[in-house]
Amino acid sequence: MTHRISWRTPMVILVCGCIILTLSMGARHTAGLFLQPMTQAHGWSRETFSFAIAIQNLVWGLASPFAGAFADKHGAGRTVFVAGLLYVLGLVLMSGATTPLAFDLTAGVLIGLGLSGTTFAVIMGVIGRHTTPENRSMALGIASAGGSFGQFAVLPVGQMLITSYGWQSALLLLACLLGLIAPLAYAMADGHKPSAGVGQSVLEALREAGGEKSFHYLFWGFFVCGFQTAFIMLHLPAFLVDGGLSANVGMTAVALIGLFNIFGSFFFGWRGGCGSKKNLLAVIYALRAVAILVFMLIPLSTASAWIFSAVIGVLWLGTVPLTNGLVAQIFGLRYMSMLTGIIFLGHQLGSFLGAWLGGRIYDQTGSYDIAWTVAIGLSILATILSWPIDEKTLLREERVST
Amino acid sequence: MNKGWHWFFIGVALTLAIVLLAAIFLAYQMPELLIDWANLRYCA
Repeated sequence: MTHRISWRTPMVILVCGCIILTLSMGARHTAGLFLQPMTQAHGWSRETFSFAIAIQNLVWGLASPFAGAFADKHGAGRTVFVAGLLYVLGLVLMSGATTPLAFDLTAGVLIGLGLSGTTFAVIMGVIGRHTTPENRSMALGIASAGGSFGQFAVLPVGQMLITSYGWQSALLLLACLLGLIAPLAYAMADGHKPSAGVGQSVLEALREAGGEKSFHYLFWGFFVCGFQTAFIMLHLPAFLVDGGLSANVGMTAVALIGLFNIFGSFFFGWRGGCGSKKNLLAVIYALRAVAILVFMLIPLSTASAWIFSAVIGVLWLGTVPLTNGLVAQIFGLRYMSMLTGIIFLGHQLGSFLGAWLGGRIYDQTGSYDIAWTVAIGLSILATILSWPIDEKTLLREERVST
Repeated sequence: MNKGWHWFFIGVALTLAIVLLAAIFLAYQMPELLIDWANLRYCA
């Protein structure tokens, strides 16, 4: 028997996965930059634009478990390839959309579907399958840092494209950039590596996960993560400006979150490989509560805003490698993409509520105080939910041995 | 590759990464980005 050495080494898969995450997360992050030029060009309201982005976020969350299940069954390569094409198609058609409905279908549905197959659930699954248990958490941390880097780096690039070439050309140029996902998907074509749970059906895997308290704890913990990150990213600059600081301070705060997020994602991924992941998760949520509480109690200033942004940035997406790593550790790798896709749905529901409730509470009360308090309370809840997670790998009888 | 070159390239790569991150950070101070920040509030 000849044994062919594949060029798809763990390092190749990790690098390609990082680039895919950088592109997909980065392009998605530029959406807001198109609001003003597109609404002005078409005479739409801001609500029309925001509604399509809200659809995008919900479709992203709802489609993630299905994209994950498709990747688990048919391979991540095909999933990433198809989703990448949908993403590109969404951007191209979005540039030509002239009615709100067309905009909802392109910027909302198509890009949402594209995101579901080119972001964490699918990419983390294939990286998880190709790394050893000792290196897995760090590899997931590096991939997470790739997505964080995309969010941080592509925003100014998007702005420069709009300024230099106009919004329509900028969308087409972004689509060209996203076209790189198609060849990169070839590296993600992992087939199926033998792994724990290989004899399970999808329904059995779902039933098993649904019966495990740890899965529910991870889901609701990620819900809290989504709530806090969406609320802070969306409302922090407005909060700072309301407090008498300049818009420049708000923008720098966002940049600091993005910058420190890169280091935090890597750091927590690395530390997750050295010890208990659930304890680290609990620490992240607890530190978020402390950081928000201190930020609320001390007088607002430029220094306090920047220090808070740096601290919350470190804690931003450190939850991603730990949560994904725990899913792999507890349930095995066979259905990792599907299960992390379901947990990511919790994240998106939290994001939706965090973004919407933050604005709603502000409109009702004229301040963000209640929203910050809710964020602290949820953080404490997520800390409490993280401690009892059982990190042990589930023992099950394999029906098919490999 | 000997150890000296190994660390040399790691040092160069780290320096370039820091320069890149600093450049991106400074790009956030672009006036155009600042003006459009109002847009991000609606759909981040």
